[in-house]
Amino acid sequence: MTGFSAISAGNGWLISALGISVVFFGLASLAFIISFLPRAIGWWNEHGQTPKYFFPLVKSLFAQRRTKTARFTEARGIHEPGEIDDVEESLRLITAHTGEPFKLPRLIEMAEQRGLARVHSTINRLLVRGTIIGGDDGLFRWAKGSEKEIPGESKS
Amino acid sequence: MITIEDLKRYEIFAEMDLTELKLLSAMAEERQAREGEELIRAGSPAQTLYILQEGGLMITFPGGRAITLHKPGRVVGWSALVSPTQYTASVTCLTDSTLIAFPGSELLRLVQRNVVFGTKIMRKISEVLSRRLPFLQDKDKRLLKQRS
Repeated sequence: MTGFSAISAGNGWLISALGISVVFFGLASLAFIISFLPRAIGWWNEHGQTPKYFFPLVKSLFAQRRTKTARFTEARGIHEPGEIDDVEESLRLITAHTGEPFKLPRLIEMAEQRGLARVHSTINRLLVRGTIIGGDDGLFRWAKGSEKEIPGESKS
Repeated sequence: MITIEDLKRYEIFAEMDLTELKLLSAMAEERQAREGEELIRAGSPAQTLYILQEGGLMITFPGGRAITLHKPGRVVGWSALVSPTQYTASVTCLTDSTLIAFPGSELLRLVQRNVVFGTKIMRKISEVLSRRLPFLQDKDKRLLKQRS
């Protein structure tokens, strides 16, 4: 027995289909894991020293992913959806390193060096919203939860 | 074109009479500035005084401290009226902004010719100055003290 009949007799078609499926699911799983790598590295940089928070972090990974998908559905102004929140997150990371209170021009400079988009208008929006507060000393800080309702300019 | 009605809306011109507003309106120009644009650079010759119409500005003082302005009617570039007419701070637009620009030399001429007008405008400028004085460098403070 040779040719197609030999393949059929030896369950060749089934084995081929199974092989294709295994390779397909293997590659799909790999792609899924790789798509999470940038976020995982970001977390590691931020929370690498506190392994006891690992499981809450894993939970928040999926939570953040859902939030970001939702943000894409509500475009506001001239910014790309979710862009401000991304830039805000990055600005918070920068100030976590530099400390508070911080110098606003220095923060803008550092954010631009990191290639963040629309830094000026994002900061303007955060100032107007009261998320960043300017002090009488010309230095700025992030508002605590209860302060967020006091928007406005730092001083004139 | 900047009309008298436009100028009347701002606190800095609140005490001006119709003749003075006409003179100001004649020399005023609308200026559009883009987000991130450096409107004024510290140390450069002060040639223009600006009134914020719309947008957001950041004034950066030597040493890196800063204040931000968002309300219409805020003044930047007062150095255009005070010798040695050199800007003491940098101004950057936080958003696309619309401003009213006054040529410093023309405004200064008007101040020097018309004592009443000069007194009114310089009183307003000194109010702005007193709020920003803590951020100025010692040499600028000394200079202002000498002038007064």
